[in-house]
Amino acid sequence: MSSYLRESLSEFWASKISKLGVIFLLIVVAVSVYTIATFPLDYGTRYWNNPRYWVDNPKAAEPQWINYFLGDKKLGHTVLSTNMPIKAYLSGGYYLKFYSVSYDLTVNQFPTFINLKLEDVKYHTRAPSATIFITRPDNKTIELYTLTIESPVPNEVPPYIRYSDEPKRILLSGEQYVVPLRLSNYLLQEYNLSRTPSEVIEIGYKKIIFGEITEEDDFQPLKGTYIFNLVLKARQGGDLIGKTTFIIGGQVYGLMGTDTLGRDLSQGLLFGFPVALLIGFAASFITTAIGASLGVTGGYIGGRVDNVIQRVSDVANNLPQLPLLIFLTFVFGGKLWVILVVLIAFGWPSLVIVVRSMILQVKSASFVEASVSVGASKWRIMARHIFPQVAPYILSQMIFFTPSAILSEAALSFLGLGDPSIPTWGQILEYGFDHGAVYLGYWWWILPPGLLIVFSAVTFVLIALGLEPVVNPRLRRRR
Amino acid sequence: MKLLEVEGLKLYYKTLRGPVKAVDNVEFTLEKGETLGAVGESGCGKSSTAIAIMKLLPTNVEQYEGKVLLDGMNVREFNEGEFRRKIRWKRISMVFQGAMNSLNPVLKAGFQVAEPLIVHQSMNKKEAIKKAKELFKLVGLPPDFTERYPHELSGGMKQRVAIAMALVLNPELIILDEPTSAIDVSIQAQIMNLLKRLKKELDISMMFITHDIALASDICDKIGVMYAGQIVELGPSENVLLNPKHPYTQKLIASVPLLRGDRTPEFIPGAPPDLVEPFKGCRFYPRCPYGKDEFEEKEPPLIEVEKNHFVKCWLYGDVK
Amino acid sequence: MDLQNIRTYFYVRKGFFRTLTVRAVDGVSLKIDQGEIVAIVGESGSGKTTLGRTALKLEKPVSGKIIFEGRDITNIKGDIKWFRRKAQMIFQDPFMSLNPYMTVKQIIEEPIVVHNFDEKERKRRILKALSDVRLLPSDEFLPKYPHMLSGGQRQRVGIARSLVLEPTLLVADEPISMIDASSRAGILFLFGEIQKKYDLGVMYITHDIATAKYVSVNIAVMYAGKIVEYGPTIEVLKNPLHPYTTALMEAVPDPDPQNRFRFRKVVPGEPPNPISPPTGCRFHPRCPYTTETCKKEEPLLKEISGRRIACHYAEKIAK
Repeated sequence: MSSYLRESLSEFWASKISKLGVIFLLIVVAVSVYTIATFPLDYGTRYWNNPRYWVDNPKAAEPQWINYFLGDKKLGHTVLSTNMPIKAYLSGGYYLKFYSVSYDLTVNQFPTFINLKLEDVKYHTRAPSATIFITRPDNKTIELYTLTIESPVPNEVPPYIRYSDEPKRILLSGEQYVVPLRLSNYLLQEYNLSRTPSEVIEIGYKKIIFGEITEEDDFQPLKGTYIFNLVLKARQGGDLIGKTTFIIGGQVYGLMGTDTLGRDLSQGLLFGFPVALLIGFAASFITTAIGASLGVTGGYIGGRVDNVIQRVSDVANNLPQLPLLIFLTFVFGGKLWVILVVLIAFGWPSLVIVVRSMILQVKSASFVEASVSVGASKWRIMARHIFPQVAPYILSQMIFFTPSAILSEAALSFLGLGDPSIPTWGQILEYGFDHGAVYLGYWWWILPPGLLIVFSAVTFVLIALGLEPVVNPRLRRRR
Repeated sequence: MKLLEVEGLKLYYKTLRGPVKAVDNVEFTLEKGETLGAVGESGCGKSSTAIAIMKLLPTNVEQYEGKVLLDGMNVREFNEGEFRRKIRWKRISMVFQGAMNSLNPVLKAGFQVAEPLIVHQSMNKKEAIKKAKELFKLVGLPPDFTERYPHELSGGMKQRVAIAMALVLNPELIILDEPTSAIDVSIQAQIMNLLKRLKKELDISMMFITHDIALASDICDKIGVMYAGQIVELGPSENVLLNPKHPYTQKLIASVPLLRGDRTPEFIPGAPPDLVEPFKGCRFYPRCPYGKDEFEEKEPPLIEVEKNHFVKCWLYGDVK
Repeated sequence: MDLQNIRTYFYVRKGFFRTLTVRAVDGVSLKIDQGEIVAIVGESGSGKTTLGRTALKLEKPVSGKIIFEGRDITNIKGDIKWFRRKAQMIFQDPFMSLNPYMTVKQIIEEPIVVHNFDEKERKRRILKALSDVRLLPSDEFLPKYPHMLSGGQRQRVGIARSLVLEPTLLVADEPISMIDASSRAGILFLFGEIQKKYDLGVMYITHDIATAKYVSVNIAVMYAGKIVEYGPTIEVLKNPLHPYTTALMEAVPDPDPQNRFRFRKVVPGEPPNPISPPTGCRFHPRCPYTTETCKKEEPLLKEISGRRIACHYAEKIAK
């Protein structure tokens, strides 16, 4: 048997197609292994479907690397944190602590938003207040906002902790009352420009904060270093902010960009690898196991058993796949195992028919008859003579069915019948289509999952094609 | 008058293991009305010789050279279009091995015989079918069998249809590759009688390929014995059968179990050589009972031992 | 082996409701003694292969008896492994009769594995079988796969496989028809040696009447499922009495350059369809001596000059 294995392997390896397929497969497997090792298993429910996890990301941002191709570069996303004040002093009975971060604007673009996040605030007597002001590269200062930490509630004892379970988030670039007023004052003070708060909203905060006025009475981005400061005015020296974070929204983010929820698409796409492999292999393995065993049994035993198996396969073959899937999704909810069950239930009949006819053919070969005439038992003949003849075909069918399963899952997810708790490429596509990604031209959201689906399917097709000459001796090149 | 002269015919196939020298320098002549037998075992190159003459080459040809002179014209050098228009089926046609299995199962037998007439001579269908019926009579089939489909005919009948197909454009030479190998013995005799009759009535030249030298004696005027891609003996049937010179021929004749004689059949130990391996000297040397060491050095030439009787063997020549 | 009036039919379904009966073997009786080789000669449709398979219980006869070593095994239920040990088959196709995924060792070993011989006994038998078929040295051949061997060698492996259980009866189904002409005599010679050495009873099935002459002691000529002539091989071939036997012999040429100037005496027509054989004597449509009786009455096997012939006019034709 081993010489045949060696010969089969060398036959398989002979074509470039197989080599390419194996390389692709290794890539897919490597990525899947990496993903399983680095991602938690409940990634889908814990992170992907949890919008709060993605709140700090820019929405519908393109991948970072497109900057290589652009002359007029886009702005990267910046998250700046600090947990220690750069200076602190006592003044007028208050402790003033300066939490500051420095931000460099290097491209000719305006940031898309400014978000402030406060975590782990501690105070001992009275709730402190915080003021935010920005120092620009041209040394102008903008006082932007003031906020007060929540006061103690009755029955609460010091030290008072705030924002430790849930950070406090203030979208400064969306605040509609304090910020426009402050900016209006800033414009008057620094530029002698008179604009009302509504006009400020009209112009857009980012332009004012990060821009300088041009001749045409418009704003142009001011490159340089900006210092974002949060000054805590506290009553006690021990009052502090655990972590202060400024998020300056960019236009590009990450390896594969983000979707409209701000989800990092590279993570979702990565997670799709092991899921695709799992679905592909599980569906094809179980389908092949069922289909092949029924085919072998029917073909070999014949008679009534064969008839029954054939009729059952015929019926199963003719059931409509999609309506049944919709119905099951309705009953059980969109779950991964539902898809698996459907794929398997509709996959096995076609294999039965082919395997059965192969068995019938092999059964009539004289070496099978020779074994009968020697007195071999039916089981021995099945195992030693008949099965090895069809095994290569069954193996190659299994490999051929894998891309089919992957594509089916993608299609089903795309139609909204998938499992929303697990990010798969089909899911990502579905979400994208649903949110107008096609019309809005969000290519980084649509193309990568589509290409990955194709890539994974092609991987298995190439391997199956490479296996063909092994399985079908007439196609062999050697000999 | 020489109808066909083949000189230095070579056909090598390209395979992954190397070039297969299926036809390696084959030479013979054929007169008008003469039947030549190409006799040899499987893999000796007799079918490949036919393919080389008919220019029905596969895609993996490594080398194809030599002269195939039909009435003095080297038709091997014709390009495919010219050969198809002027030679193939019109002047040289072929009955293939297993021809009965290569009849199109969805077309009526008569139509398949008539088709070349419609294609090559632009006859209309009615005329062509009429001619087909005449041919059916010629090969011993009832004319209304033209309406039958191949599955409605027995093996022997299908073979007759294949012969009719080969005769339809009145070729001068017809090549038959193992025409009776898949047929029962009693039908085989009928087909051989048919071929003998056609030979007499039409004065047609034939090349009869077979592995059965006794069958060759049943129709061939001249016999060429092939081994490992070469003709090792060529001459009139009387000479080759009654006075074989090449050891292989002798052994081949001796291996036939005689129905009417009493000689115990002999066998040749070993197997025919692998046509991929390069040859040194005489190819039959490893199995030859009379071989001498020096026979392995140089390939023997074709030596004329009697008038028109040639042998490719060092026993009749001088190795030096 | 004693086959008594065996009829083996096959049933073919045509369309939804019709079933056609293929009368492959239609009333054949034959005895093979220990040490005797009987040749069964016939063309396609004669039923010779089916007869051989029925004798080995690979096909079930519709009626008749199969008696082996005195025991009636026709309807024996349950395990017939003891029979399988004693009666073996040699197949026609040297390639298809060997499992391409098994080595020579595994192929030859299979029968003795199935019959549970111990390790030492296995080795002894395999080596003996290989030396009987002259496939030595054994180390060279045992690990090879069928596709590495020539046709003649493969057929010898098949013969070795059939010998390894030390049978008493062999059914050889056209064992040399798919082998090169120059190697055939070698296999035949080997076959004869083995048969003599082990005193085997052999049913030698062939369409080539000339080889029957060198192999068998008795010959049975079959036509359309029945035996038409049976007798000592040399006698039958020297002096055939049934018109079909005569026709069969006429059809086979010996290598003679004068052959091409003579038309052979052939009988017209083709062997009949086993589904609907002719009435009366099945050979009557093709026989040059047909009469009305031949069309209506089926001739039974009669004893004439030490032979059995199924023909109404055998004696007359002989004279």
